[in-house]
Amino acid sequence: MGEIVFAAGIPHLPAMVGLYDRAPPDVQAVVHNSFESLHAEIKAARPDVIIVFANDHLANSRIRSYPDFLIGMAEEHRGPHEWFKPWIGCRDYAIKGDRNVAATLFRGMIRRGIRLFAEPGALKFDDNISVPVTMGNLDSLGIPLVPVLQNCIVPPIPEQHRCYEVGQALADLIEKDLAPGMRVALIGSGGLSHEPGGSRYYVIDETFDRWFLDLAASGDHDRVLKELTFERMEASGSGGTIELFSWVVIMGATGPCKGRSFGYAIHRDFRCGFGAVIWDLKPQTAQAREQVPA
Amino acid sequence: MTTSRLKSYDPSLAVHDLVQDLKWDPDLREAFARDEAGVLDRYPLQGAERLAIERRDFKALYDMGMHPYLGGQLSRLIWGNDAGGGAILAVNNLVASLTGKRQGE
Repeated sequence: MGEIVFAAGIPHLPAMVGLYDRAPPDVQAVVHNSFESLHAEIKAARPDVIIVFANDHLANSRIRSYPDFLIGMAEEHRGPHEWFKPWIGCRDYAIKGDRNVAATLFRGMIRRGIRLFAEPGALKFDDNISVPVTMGNLDSLGIPLVPVLQNCIVPPIPEQHRCYEVGQALADLIEKDLAPGMRVALIGSGGLSHEPGGSRYYVIDETFDRWFLDLAASGDHDRVLKELTFERMEASGSGGTIELFSWVVIMGATGPCKGRSFGYAIHRDFRCGFGAVIWDLKPQTAQAREQVPA
Repeated sequence: MTTSRLKSYDPSLAVHDLVQDLKWDPDLREAFARDEAGVLDRYPLQGAERLAIERRDFKALYDMGMHPYLGGQLSRLIWGNDAGGGAILAVNNLVASLTGKRQGE
């Protein structure tokens, strides 16, 4: 019986890395404190593996044959992919993978009715994995990471109810399929409001972002499922804000629980709002998770 | 408010393959910089689609159904991809093409 020992949602805005030094001190402080907290709290939770649900930005598959969820099964993950290096401006990294956990995830989710795909070779990572790994120095922890790249960009995409179901299946898998005593950290990587490639590229919806961070930290998953809709997120930034569906997967896995945010920062050149939430987990059972219908 | 273009994208457009290949293949990027027309010849682009690429007319490409995320990446492939320089120029030129306004106007 495995156990979820850590859960967080965090944005991965690429410009935040390359333009960090040019940002005002108060913005830098929120970013720094958020990633420092992420690092410290994961370390304190002593997980055996970190599973990251992160958006794929058309980096690994053709638009005509696009998987909704793609598991990275490699023994080691390296990034960022060559073309994204100047775009992000982060350092190179290598982090251990976990083929056994990835295979268990692939097998177990399929058996639970969740269609995933899996890549045994190297995946191309852009900001999705590269930003949390390098800004949070996750590669220094010596903990294997299993990436699950999620379609948040090529419609039709899995929306909030489906993502929550995926999270519930993930929790059931962790509880029943992983090795006894295995400790699992979960991260949702994506958002907040932004419109990559759109006419509102520089527009950040602060009202939406603050509303979302409060909602995510409230633990009120009924409201999450009712109010965090595709249409509402598209209105706050087309093609980017919907990356927050990766957070919904993690919420489905944890079940309702309150979280803590480490502030909100807005900086025009980042072209995306920034704020993270770490959820305070309480002992979860399948019965408790099922109290929230997906 | 701008209407979401996501649900009206056309996945069959060849420009999507052009952008994906340019991202994944450094040699193709070099060829694109040296001989853009020669690289465009390799793809089954519609006439209007090719013309819009040549004219850097992102509004026309999006109206045809180009996915905006790949549109943003095409702008960086054309104008620059580094966080503090070319990428900012690319974003500004892309937004100007879509809105008809330069930054600051």
